[in-house]
Amino acid sequence: MPLDARRFRRVNVMSEQVIPVVQTAGLCKTFRDFWRRPRVEAVKDLNLEIRPGEIFGLLGPNGSGKTTTIKMLLGLLYATRGRISVFGKAPTDVSVKARIGFLPEESYLYRFLVAHETLDFYGRLFRLPSRIRRDRSDRLLDMVGLRHEARRRVGEYSKGMARRIGLAQALINDPEFLILDEPTSGLDPIGARQIKDVIRSLGRKGKTILLSSHILADVEDVCDRVTILYGGQQRAAGDIAELLRQRDVTQITTPPLAEETIEQVRDLIQRLEQKDILGVSNPRVKLEDFFLRIVEEAQAANIRTSGARKGGEIPDFLQKPTDTPRELVASLIEAASRKVEALPVEPLRRDEEPAREVIDDLLGRKRPEPRPEEAAPVKTPAAPEPERRRERPAADRNVIDALLGKSDGNPNTEADKKSGSS
Amino acid sequence: MGRIWAVARQMIAEGIRMKIALVFVVLIAMVVLGLPFSVTGDSSLTGAVQSFMSYGLATTGVLLGMLTIFMSRSVSDELVGRQIFLLVTKPIPRWEYVVGKWLGITLLNAAFLTCAGLTIYGMVHYIKRTHPPIDEQFDAAELNNEILVARHAGKAGLPNFMEDAELEFQKNLEEGLYADQPKFDPREEKKRLTQKYEARWRVVGPGDGRVFEFENILCDRSPDNTIQLRYKADVSQYPPDEIYRAAWQFGDAYKGTPTYQVPTRHMQGRYHTIRVPADAVAPDHTLLVRFYNYNPYQDEAPWPNVIEFRASEPVEVLFTVGSFGGNLFRLLLLMLCKLMFLAGVAMLAVTVFSFPVACLTAFTVYVLAGSRGFIIDSLDLASVDKANMFSSLREFAVQSILLVFRGIYWVVPDFGRYDAVEDLVNGRNVSLVWVLQAVTELALLKTVIILGLAILFFYRREVAEVSV
Repeated sequence: MPLDARRFRRVNVMSEQVIPVVQTAGLCKTFRDFWRRPRVEAVKDLNLEIRPGEIFGLLGPNGSGKTTTIKMLLGLLYATRGRISVFGKAPTDVSVKARIGFLPEESYLYRFLVAHETLDFYGRLFRLPSRIRRDRSDRLLDMVGLRHEARRRVGEYSKGMARRIGLAQALINDPEFLILDEPTSGLDPIGARQIKDVIRSLGRKGKTILLSSHILADVEDVCDRVTILYGGQQRAAGDIAELLRQRDVTQITTPPLAEETIEQVRDLIQRLEQKDILGVSNPRVKLEDFFLRIVEEAQAANIRTSGARKGGEIPDFLQKPTDTPRELVASLIEAASRKVEALPVEPLRRDEEPAREVIDDLLGRKRPEPRPEEAAPVKTPAAPEPERRRERPAADRNVIDALLGKSDGNPNTEADKKSGSS
Repeated sequence: MGRIWAVARQMIAEGIRMKIALVFVVLIAMVVLGLPFSVTGDSSLTGAVQSFMSYGLATTGVLLGMLTIFMSRSVSDELVGRQIFLLVTKPIPRWEYVVGKWLGITLLNAAFLTCAGLTIYGMVHYIKRTHPPIDEQFDAAELNNEILVARHAGKAGLPNFMEDAELEFQKNLEEGLYADQPKFDPREEKKRLTQKYEARWRVVGPGDGRVFEFENILCDRSPDNTIQLRYKADVSQYPPDEIYRAAWQFGDAYKGTPTYQVPTRHMQGRYHTIRVPADAVAPDHTLLVRFYNYNPYQDEAPWPNVIEFRASEPVEVLFTVGSFGGNLFRLLLLMLCKLMFLAGVAMLAVTVFSFPVACLTAFTVYVLAGSRGFIIDSLDLASVDKANMFSSLREFAVQSILLVFRGIYWVVPDFGRYDAVEDLVNGRNVSLVWVLQAVTELALLKTVIILGLAILFFYRREVAEVSV
């Protein structure tokens, strides 16, 4: 049965706090057999909170309850026990759905409609005026690289192309909250990269995103926080940087060093710390980045393809600020915090500070104990850098380009290209 | 309304592209385009047109009924194919989804019916132009005056037999004829006497006559226009040639109308039509008709006979009130009302069951609605005996089943009541009141009840439910 929407409304009126986009308390879902006997407990006592503006990852092996949780958030399934609210209301509330975009694990689209008709149909369900529907459809098709296939029936699309249309339909209403269930499944690396770009871009614009995926690298690349489910229960949750930090390893990244310098550093470390360097190597370019470079070269050479082409820019209707005062405040706070991350000095300080710490340690200098909440950003050199942080130099480059009046037409792609190869 | 319309548009787009819809449309096209070349009826022009209309419209109705049920598969497909996941996660209340789907099916039906209706209309005129009539005077005129028109039927008022019955009852009572009847019911006895007088009136002995008075004959009274008397009579003894002779008189001299004498030679046991000028109708829109049971043909051998006009086959006066086109249009509206109800039933079925079960359920309701009159009569014979309901387990079970059937039949309409094909084929007016009744009962009341149930079930349904 749907949860009582009035109960949530009453709570919201009384509360002065920013309402979490998603909140569950003791959420349970039991699947029953034909005779209504409980058979499978898909979700057990799940407490989840997704805050406005964050990219939240839902991880877990098959059958861990990820999709069931998402279905409950969308009102496709009703909770057996516990409470669930989306934007402070019951998931079945129609006004809530107007603020959500959903990309299911498979593209459940009408095979007999062409791409344009598909987007137009979903736009109508949001009561978008005809002009806006047309405009958004065109720009979303551009974004997902299917403008040239807009008059083909969706049934004739490859799986990857259908996923792209699926993503486009999820964005037709410029959602505040985007739920993506296995968004990169079935996509080629270009499509997967584009989706990640979109997710990052939307995240920067203050959208809240729930991402469920088996592809851990994708989640690691884009998510702020994650929850790991197993057997329908929450096993781990928290900030992704915090969860993945390796506290027993220190990594120093420098420009190429001569063998003698490396030997001297090794000697210095052995003398001062009585520890050995575990490995010295030139970092490899990620295969994804290498692959994308090859494809981009092919695209630049105008080699014909009947499949999806290079995606265009993120449409600016997806980037406009949110409207309501509370959301405006939240988006400003979020934007402010992200601006700090994008400062040009940040990468330098990041590179310098761990080195200074190591030198202090090597020299035996005493440093003040960092406060626990400050510790995380300082002691992360050994952990793989989240994609967002690696974007910073590219973001700076874009700002500089913008100031100088340059434009490459796709700042996000450029940013990722830079970050990937650095 | 925007979202309902969006779903309806999507349903229409799907319906047009459904292969099953194409099959049914081709079948309907084959019937309405092929029948004129194969159906001859009784080889007369009238017979050919009547047969074509009868088969064409009946087949169209049945095929569209089946197509309506198959089109509801759209909802099942969306549940199985999970397109519904993307729909119900959009800001569309589930009731709008159900109504949108129903509206889409209804609009498709309306479009198919319009196409079928226009084709039938065109083919009727094609037959009229190409089929040679047996004779111009009767066959062609009959088609124009009696078939391709909308005629209203006025029935004769009966004399008040209750006065005579009351007099006889009082007389019998005074004479003590009922004294020895232990379970004597005066009301039943008066009813029996009334029926006896009516039956006596309906029988016309040799040399005797009857007067039929018609009211509200609201026709154009110009002498160029005609009205028709339609009747059927039985005789007590078959004449050697199976033809009985009689005479009819139309008009009321006291009201200033001309009177028309019409001698007839008619075959017993069949319907016959007599056409007379419409100025026989009085200015107050009454018509006086006299029947004489005597042989007006002096040169033919008399055959004195008793003639009976049965209550089940009343004498009627028919007069034109509209065109064939308008009549056909109203008939199509009646058919659409039935299809609207059927679409509602199909929607209810697919929101509860998987498509095969839903399909079977909807077909069952379709058949039940078509045979409702017959089954209701059966149920009336086995009427619920509340007094003895709890006398035994068997009785309780039987009576309970009867009650359930009655409940179902309260909702399931009588499609036969709104079957106007025979009326159209006989040139009878398919009245607007009839259409309004159908709209009220089928389209508004019962379809709304059925759709309400469909919405209720759909709201309770977990669209992503997994049974393990």
